[in-house]
Order: sequence, then C-alpha cells, then structure tokens
Amino acid sequence: MTDRDDQKRRNLRMALILATIAAAFFLGVIAKYILFAG
Amino acid sequence: MSAVLDHPGHHAHDDHHHAPAGWRRWVYATNHKDIGTLYLLFSFTMLMVGGVLALLIRAELFQPGLQLVNPELFNQLTTMHGLIMVFGAIMPAFVGFANWMIPLQIGAPDMAFARMNNFSFWLLIPAGLMLVGSFFMPGGAPAAGWTLYAPLTLQMGPSMDAGIFAMHIMGASSIMGSINIIVTVLNMRAPGMTLMKMPMFCWTWLITAYLLIAVMPVLAGAITMTLTDRHLGTTFFNPAGGGDPVMYQHIFWFFGHPEVYIMILPAFGIISQVVPAFSRKRLFGYASMVYATSSIAILSFIVWAHHMFTTGMPVTGQLFFMYATMLIAVPTAVKIFNWIATMWEGSMTFETPMLWAVGFIFVFTIGGFTGLILAMAPIDIVLQDTYYVVAHFHYVLVAGSLFAMFAGFYYWAPKWTGVMYNERMGQIHFWWSMISFNITFFVMHFLGLAGMPRRYADYPAQFADFNAVATIGAFGFGLAQVFFFFVVVLPMMRGQGEPAPQRPWNDADGKGAEGLEWEVPSPAPFHTFETPPQLDASGNRLLQPQLGGRSH
Repeated sequence: MTDRDDQKRRNLRMALILATIAAAFFLGVIAKYILFAG
Repeated sequence: MSAVLDHPGHHAHDDHHHAPAGWRRWVYATNHKDIGTLYLLFSFTMLMVGGVLALLIRAELFQPGLQLVNPELFNQLTTMHGLIMVFGAIMPAFVGFANWMIPLQIGAPDMAFARMNNFSFWLLIPAGLMLVGSFFMPGGAPAAGWTLYAPLTLQMGPSMDAGIFAMHIMGASSIMGSINIIVTVLNMRAPGMTLMKMPMFCWTWLITAYLLIAVMPVLAGAITMTLTDRHLGTTFFNPAGGGDPVMYQHIFWFFGHPEVYIMILPAFGIISQVVPAFSRKRLFGYASMVYATSSIAILSFIVWAHHMFTTGMPVTGQLFFMYATMLIAVPTAVKIFNWIATMWEGSMTFETPMLWAVGFIFVFTIGGFTGLILAMAPIDIVLQDTYYVVAHFHYVLVAGSLFAMFAGFYYWAPKWTGVMYNERMGQIHFWWSMISFNITFFVMHFLGLAGMPRRYADYPAQFADFNAVATIGAFGFGLAQVFFFFVVVLPMMRGQGEPAPQRPWNDADGKGAEGLEWEVPSPAPFHTFETPPQLDASGNRLLQPQLGGRSH
C-alpha cells in the first residue's frame, strides 16, 4: 500500500466517523422528543 | 506535479497546468482554489440579495406609517434577510476563505475530499434558488423570523416547506464542508507543521468545523420535526396535541448560539493573520489564542437560553445562563488583548487590510459589550426584541464577520489574482463602509433603549428621526458594497492592476506576512504543494529557496 493509499484510507475513516456523529446527533434529537416528550 | 516546488523557473507554464477551460472548469471543479472562488462569488451574490431585502426594510422604516410594503411582506423581508445573510452569505463566504487558504497554509495539495467539496458547493445553488424563489410561492416567503419559531411555522403556507428544505440542503452542505476541513487539517498537514505551529485561521476553522458537526444536525432535527408537525400529524411543537413551542426555541438556540460563534471564529482567525502582518511582529500569545478559541467554542454550548429569558424560565436557570454568558467575555477579551498587544510597539502600517482589522477590533468590541449588557437577565427582559438587540447583532455580524472578510479579501486577494487592488479605492471602501455602518446601526441602540420593537413595519412618530438616519446610513452602506464590487473586485478578477509581488505585505527588511501561502508565487499556481513541502522549524517557511514568481 502506498502512502497515498494509506492517507486516503485514513481520510475516509475519519470522515465516516464524523458523518456518523452528525447522523447520530440528528436522529438523537428527534428520538429524544419521540421517546421523552417534554 | 507541484507547480511551485518541482519546476523552478517554469511557474508561468504551470500556473495553468491541468486547469480545465470553459464552464467545465467550474461545474466539475475539484481544485480547492476554484471551489473557493465559487463559494466567494456565491456568497457575494447572496450578500447583494440579502442587502436588497435589508434596503427594502429600511426604506419602509424611513418614515412612520406604511409606505412601500404591507406588514405581511415586511415580515417576509426580515425573515428572508436573516436566512439569506446567515446561511447564504456569511457561512459560505468563510467556507470560501477556508477552501482557498487552508490547503495553502498547511502545505496540502488540496482538500481531502475534492469531489465532495464540489458537491458541497453545488448543493448551495438549488438551496439558494429555493430560498429566494419562495417569495413567488402562494402566500409569499416564510415570515416566521430567521429563527423559524413554532407555532408560526406550523401556520404558514407552502413556502415554509421550501424554506425548510433549503435549510436541510444548506445544512448538509455545511456538514460535508466541515468534514472536509477537519480531515484536511488533521490528516494533510505538511511534515513539521504541528498543530501548535498551524496558522490561527486554520485553528479557528478547525474548531468551527467541529461546532458545525455538533449543531447543524440539531437544527436539521428541529426543522424536520417542524416538517412532520406540518404534514404528518405529529405535535412536537403544537400545544393542541400536547406539544411545546418553547421546546422548539430550546432546540433552535442550542444550534443558534454556537452558530453565532461559527460566524465569528473564522473572522477571529483572519484578524489574527492580518494584525501581525501589518504590525511586523509575531502574534502575541499564540497558544492563549488557541485556548481562548476552544474555550469560546465549548462555552457556546451552555449559554443558549440567554435568548429566551422572557419565556418564563426559573430564576436559577436565568442566573446560570446569565453567568455562563458573561464568562464568554473572558476568552473573548483574551483575544482582543492579544491583538492589541501584537500591535504594541510594532512597525505598524495601515494598508487597507489593516484598516479593516483595526476597524473590526473597534466595532466588534462595541458589539461584544452590548452583548454583555444583554446577557444580564434583568436588562434583557426590558430590551428583549427591541432594536437594541438588532444593533447588537449587526455590530457582531456585520462589523464582526463582514469586516473581517473584507480584511481577509484585501489581504489575500493579491495572492489569489496576482494583481494588487487600488489602495486608494480600498481605503475609500473602508471609510465609506465604516462611517455608513455606524450611521445605520449606532442609532438603533437609542431606538431600542427607547422601546422600539423589532420586526414591526410601522412605529410611533417619536422614533422617526433615528429611523430616518438609520435608513440613510443603510443606503450608504449598500452603495459602498456596490462600489467595492465594481471598483475593487471586478478589476482584480480581470487582472487589472499592478502585478502583485510574492510577498506584497513585507517591508524592506522582509518583515510582514508569514505563512506558507506567501511561499508560493502570485497568483498562486493552479496546483500547489503536490509533493509535501519541507518546512523550517517555525513551520512558516519552506526550507528550499523560494522558486519562481514575482518576488518582493
């Protein structure tokens, strides 16, 4: 694996983690008010 | 191949190496510089659209009584002015600066995800069109205020759906942009560019990007719930079904207050670059600047309810949010102190970027102080929803964010375009804007203290004089920006002007602007740092001698 491939892999992994966090916040806010209204 | 580092003496050829021509260059753009340019042009267009709406508002308020627009349209104008300026002008403009400067400043060849970068930008076009187009939908544009408060949003016509959809798209664009920036900064810095050697603009954007990832999904959640309330029979915010409109305000401001810092932290970054360059000194207290920026970001999550003191929260809640808000003054003051200490005993010169930076410090501090005043719950209860609040946040967002962007434009545009702007015209733009801005917004403090509420199309006669003054100032400020575009921006885009040296801000002793962006020729070649550059111990200079370009 070249350095460039390695960097692409690290970039993608970090992006997926960040996107997962964002999606969790989005769904979490809605879920909170469905499950624990008020 | 790196245009700058690998081919000494051939930069003229390499300037356009691999640069596609025609419309494909822009539609299929994956180059960070091109995408940065697209962002900046889009945001300036939206600034003009939002500005026209602002001038319509001010024209209506020139005299008491209803002259030009009816109250319904007036509410639409204030709502759309806010949404367009926040989501269409300020945020994309800073992303434009980030696209242009972050890879150049950290020695990276491009952003980490070049195609996603293209997608992030082009998402903005349909979102912007939908926002502006909502004026032509049945019932007119959304009129619930830029905060999109329930239950107003539940009662509006189809344009509210268009507005919500536009916000979703812009939010997705922002999140993708943030992911790109975080990954680029953390993974793609040149060897030797440690985090604590990174330029402050990159630091402030890194922190801003984390803020965006944390809060944009919260806004998306709130407006999604609004959408389901409108169409799917849920009652999250509808009291008729057991919902709570105040809960919307809590969720919105959990997004909205960090959003304020999203719009000001990159501005702090720009000022932290410009002030040292024109003081011919290193930034005073670099580490404390980083920690202060981080502190502001963290504190921004625990102050949201200071926007809601009049909603009937317990006194203990008011006290908590009041003190937490006042605490933010500490790291903010650290930054102001550091900028002034940087200027102290520096060899200062006052070219246009420095004028904007000093002007920023002056007027932003006024906005900061009025923010402190509004943070006090007893005072806020009196001033809530008055023109005092309008004056406060325009001092922060116009004199803060916009002035910093102008500082950044005049500072970096020679690197972008390869030509110098006309210094005299730049200074005229500054003084014209600075004076007309204060004419517009300073009098609003008095209007607010006298009790004039915001978002009203009409007012009693005792408010007439200050309103007339504010309207005259607003038209002056608007004209100043038209002047800026035609006299400064357009000539630079056409390459008209003195050729810009590689380091335009350095004095005869070589002191001035520092950073890797000044290690490449002017204009910056299409491709830069394709092979990782080798840096000196400071992280500001290349180890190899500077190659090509017009040196100072």
